[in-house]
Amino acid sequence: MKRALRSLQARTTSLVVAVTSAVWISASAAMWLDTRDELDELLDAHLMQAASFLLVRQAGEDEELEHGRSTALHPYAPRVAFQVFEGSQLRSRSADAPSTPLIALDGRGGSFATVSVDGARWRAFSTQAADRDVRIIVAEQVAARNGIALAVLRSTLWPMLLALPLLAAATAFAVRRGLRPMKQLGRGLSARSPTDLAPIPTERAPAEVQPMLEALNGLFGRIGDLLDSERRFTADAAHELRTPIAAIRAQAQAALTVVDAAARRHALRSTIEGCDRAARLIDQLLLLARLESGTAPELAMLDLADVTRRVLAEATPDALIKGQHLELDAPEHFPALGSIDLLRVLARNLVDNAIRYSPKGARISVTLQAEPGGTVLTMEDTGPGLSEPERLRLGDRFFRGGTSQASGSGLGWSIVRRIAALHRLDVVVDRSPQLGGLRVRLTFPRG
Amino acid sequence: MRILLAEDDRLLGDGIQAGLRALGFQVDWVRDGFAAERELRAQVHSAVVLDLGLPQRDGLDVLSALRSDGNAVPVLVLTARDAIGERIRGLDTGADDYVVKPVDLHELAARLRALIRRAHGQPRDRLQVQDVSLDPKAHQVNQRGRPVATSAREFDLLHALMLNAGRVLSREQLEQHLYSWGREIESNAIEVHVHHLRRKLGAAAIRTVRGVGYVMPVHAAAP
Repeated sequence: MKRALRSLQARTTSLVVAVTSAVWISASAAMWLDTRDELDELLDAHLMQAASFLLVRQAGEDEELEHGRSTALHPYAPRVAFQVFEGSQLRSRSADAPSTPLIALDGRGGSFATVSVDGARWRAFSTQAADRDVRIIVAEQVAARNGIALAVLRSTLWPMLLALPLLAAATAFAVRRGLRPMKQLGRGLSARSPTDLAPIPTERAPAEVQPMLEALNGLFGRIGDLLDSERRFTADAAHELRTPIAAIRAQAQAALTVVDAAARRHALRSTIEGCDRAARLIDQLLLLARLESGTAPELAMLDLADVTRRVLAEATPDALIKGQHLELDAPEHFPALGSIDLLRVLARNLVDNAIRYSPKGARISVTLQAEPGGTVLTMEDTGPGLSEPERLRLGDRFFRGGTSQASGSGLGWSIVRRIAALHRLDVVVDRSPQLGGLRVRLTFPRG
Repeated sequence: MRILLAEDDRLLGDGIQAGLRALGFQVDWVRDGFAAERELRAQVHSAVVLDLGLPQRDGLDVLSALRSDGNAVPVLVLTARDAIGERIRGLDTGADDYVVKPVDLHELAARLRALIRRAHGQPRDRLQVQDVSLDPKAHQVNQRGRPVATSAREFDLLHALMLNAGRVLSREQLEQHLYSWGREIESNAIEVHVHHLRRKLGAAAIRTVRGVGYVMPVHAAAP
């Protein structure tokens, strides 16, 4: 039942049938009441007429009426009874009338009353002869009246009851016809291939479903963009993996081919280095894919100074190999809101970039301080920096700045930008006024 | 044979250089487009292995500039991009061969030999001049069916002379064929190698053109 009502067609059909039935039932009830009122008036008039007729006849034909019966002129006639009183003495009555007066004999007569006698209800009228002490009471059983009203009602209800199933069928047919465009739309949609993201033509669709179609087309568009970016990403990623794999292969083959033992050791070490590089590229790709899946990270209060210190400590060995100087200028503690894992990755990427792209002996300076605009994390170095067009391309996937002497994955800045966006950080890249190299300023918003 | 390798990736360049050297090539390695153009202007290389994704100047730009300069050096494009459109663009710009990474070193060497051979109008890999035959792949020299042992330098010198049979090559040209940069060249190195080759193949095999250079005549001089 519940399932059936989920169909718009079943729902509309049953609603129409239910509402029609309710209207019919109310109309019938109103008709029943109205019929009974009209019938009462009519039959009351008949009772009055019968009473005055009896009064007239009573004058001449006393005897004949001793055991008289009302004439059976009508199917309902037997239910009409009368009593004739002279004074308080019952002079005559119809066979089915009780012997006690149906209406008290006091009063002036000429009045109607509804009384119960032995479980039967009567509608009675009494009239008083003007010239003598004769009182006529004419009564009719209420059940008989109801029977007539019911008969009237029945004669109108029958066609209605017969018409109801026909109406239901007709409604179902009409609703089905009315909903046909929806059905066609549904068929068209379900026949679509999953790669077909072309917008649904809206000009011929019913006005009611236009907003839905437009929303659907909007969704198609967004899914298409997402798929395109995924496809581009997969293609780029595959191409980017080719070079490290080619390097591993070349080094391994060189190790097999060279005769000199030192050259072979060098080739084997390079093979391992190539594997590490490919693994790091895959890690970065996976991280970026996770970041771009759009799930918001859980933000919590953390100590930004502590995070930065730890990252610098981890990066120090690499800097030492290149004879570079790493320095941090930050307060002991610096509370901030963020994801500790992601901010660590962000800081690590920036520091790694500074180490990778700065020459031997370079200075890399990291500062953390509160400024009017918010908390600012600054990283600057004495490296070659980046030209304006290169700075603009930072964050493009697989873009590597400078002369590409260093073998980065080209994904670090994409990751930095993504994490910064997830934290609503403001990122500014320019030339460091103090050190002359690249300066990256991350501003954590207030609040 | 001296090859110019233009590849920006440190590990890949290093591996190809080491591998090709082990397979008998002299390899000069540059890591950006500007350096590649500079080296190509010297016109000392028998072939070029060119990565398309070079920093500073894109590989395709280097290639089209090279061809518009009228330089016909065989160019093998090495790239990570394998879309058909990319290949067509590469070949139309003037590449002679197109290899998608990763590449087998032996295949790369074979393709380079084929490119160099075709550039010299040789239909077969094996060279035959006078009664001397040279197999670049097997690094073997035969005279009248009898194997002749040669050092790597002597082999390279003979290879250069045989590829250019009938043409005179100057001492500088021969030196450039033999040595990639960074290697010490003694001033009389070529004379010494020629002397050794004459002793092994016969005095008439290589002729000296005084003040000009050396030539290997297509037909042996009458005794």
